[in-house]
Amino acid sequence: MTISGARVVDAHVRVGECREAALPLHTLLATMDRLGIDAALISPPERCIAYHNAEGNALTTGAAAASGGRLYAYAVANPWRGTDALAELDRARSAGAVALAVDPVLQGFDLHDGLLDPLLRKACDWRWPVYVRTGTPPTALPLPLASLARRHPDVTFIMGRSGATDFWIDAIPALRYAPNLLADTSYAPWDTVLSGFGADPSVGPERVVFSTDAPYTVPEVELERILDWPLPAADRARVLGENLTRLLP
Amino acid sequence: MDIPIIDFHTHTPAWDHASWLAGAAFTPADFTAFLDSAGIRAAVVLSHDGLFHATPEANDRLAEFVAADPDRMVGFGTVNARYPGAAEEMERCFGTLGIRGLKIHPWLQGVSMHEPSLDPIAEVVAAHGGSVLCHDGTPPYATATQIAAFARRHPTVPVVLGHAGLHDTWREAIAAVTETANLYICLCGVPPYAGRHIIDRCPPERVLFGSDAGLSDQVGQAYAVARAHEITRWGVDDTTLRRVLYDNPRDLLGGWPQ
Ligand SMILES: [Zn+2]
Repeated sequence: MTISGARVVDAHVRVGECREAALPLHTLLATMDRLGIDAALISPPERCIAYHNAEGNALTTGAAAASGGRLYAYAVANPWRGTDALAELDRARSAGAVALAVDPVLQGFDLHDGLLDPLLRKACDWRWPVYVRTGTPPTALPLPLASLARRHPDVTFIMGRSGATDFWIDAIPALRYAPNLLADTSYAPWDTVLSGFGADPSVGPERVVFSTDAPYTVPEVELERILDWPLPAADRARVLGENLTRLLP
Repeated sequence: MDIPIIDFHTHTPAWDHASWLAGAAFTPADFTAFLDSAGIRAAVVLSHDGLFHATPEANDRLAEFVAADPDRMVGFGTVNARYPGAAEEMERCFGTLGIRGLKIHPWLQGVSMHEPSLDPIAEVVAAHGGSVLCHDGTPPYATATQIAAFARRHPTVPVVLGHAGLHDTWREAIAAVTETANLYICLCGVPPYAGRHIIDRCPPERVLFGSDAGLSDQVGQAYAVARAHEITRWGVDDTTLRRVLYDNPRDLLGGWPQ
C-alpha cells in the first residue's frame, strides 16, 4: 500500500506484552513497513503503565533510540508515586522520551484529584504532548479530560480512543470545550464519528490524529478506514501525520 | 473459505427521531444491497425509533421493513416496560407482526433490568420461543451482570448481550456469560483483541456476531461492511468463525434462514 504524499505517523501503540494482546517490536516494524506507516509513538505495555514504570520507559526509549527515527517514545509514570514519578519522567526524558502517556484506569487515579498535575507541568515545560486513554470508565470520560485540558492550556492533549464507543457522543462537546484537545481515530467509523469530527466547525481534520492502537486492533483496518474516509488530500495528510508531527521534536 | 454471515445486530433507519448520529435514510432494497456488499446472508433487524419512543407504530414499521425480504431479515421489536399495555404489545408483535424477539436498550429507554415490569413482557417472549437482545457495556443500566440477573429470572429465554461489553466491560461480560446458561454474547462494537478473547473463553455455542449496521451517514453502511470484513482478519480459525458467524445465530433463530 502506498499513501501518496502523506507522511503517516501512528499516534499510539503499546509494545510488549499486554494482558490479552502483545506487540513485539519486530512485528510493529514489519507492520509499519507493510502498511506504509513512517513513524509511531510507542507506549509500554499495561503492567509498565500501571506499576513497572522504569522498565517501561527503558523499553520505549531503548526501542526509539535503536529505530533510526521511526519510533518515538512515550514516557509513563504512575502519578501515585509523587516525586518519584517526576524523577522517572526526568530519566525518561534524558533517555529520549518525547511525550507522556496516561491511563487513569490502569493507574488508578482521578483526572481531577490533582495527582497528575505536577506531571502535566513537566510536560508543559518540555512541550510534550500528552495522550490520555478515554472510554466508558468514570475516570476516563472525555469531558472530565476536557476540563483538565483547560486547566493546562499550553499542553496539547490527545483524547486516546475518543471515548469509544458509547462516549463518542461526548467527544465533540469535549473538543469544542478544550481547544488544546485532539481527537484520535482508533475504532471510530469514518461514516459516523469521524465525519462528525470533520464537519464540526470547531473541530475539523486539523484536530484529528491517526492511531492504530495496536495491538488491540487490526492495524490495516484502522488505516483503511482513514483512506476510505472521503477527505481532500490535504486534510487526509493532516490526519495521517501532519497534525501530530507538529508536536514532535 | 467463504463463510456465510448472519448479522445478529442491525437497525432500521430512525424514521421519526433525530439522534446525535446523522443516520442516512435507506429502503429495504438498499439494506439488502448492503447485506450483499458485506457478504451477509441474513440479518436480525432491531427497532430503532422504538428505542427513543416505543410505540406500536414503531413495531408496525419495523415489521413492514423486514417483510420486504423475509428470507434475509427478521425483526426484533421493542416495548417500554413502563408504558401501560407493554406486555400486550409484545404479544401483538409475536402473534400479529411476525416479530421474533425483543430489543431492550436500558440506558436509552431508561429502564433498569431489575424492574419487575419487565417480567410479564419476558413471559410473552418465553411463550413464543423468542429471544431478548439487550444493549450492554454502558453503566448505569446496561452492564452485563445486570442483564445476567434478568436472564436468571427468565431461564427459558435466550438473552443476548448486544455488544459483548464494548471496550471496557468485556471481561465482566465473559464472566456473566460463563455463569449464566441462557446468556449469549454478540461481538458487536468490541475491539478485536477482546473479541478473540471472548471467543476463547465463552461457551462456543453462545457467541454471535453483529455489525450494528443502520447508523451510518452513508446508505451503504460503510463501517458495517468494514466490520464484517474485519472479523475474518482477527486470526480466528475457520471452524470457530463459522460457528460464530452462521451456525450459532441460525440455531438461536430456530434454523432460519433455510
Ligand atoms: Zn445497536
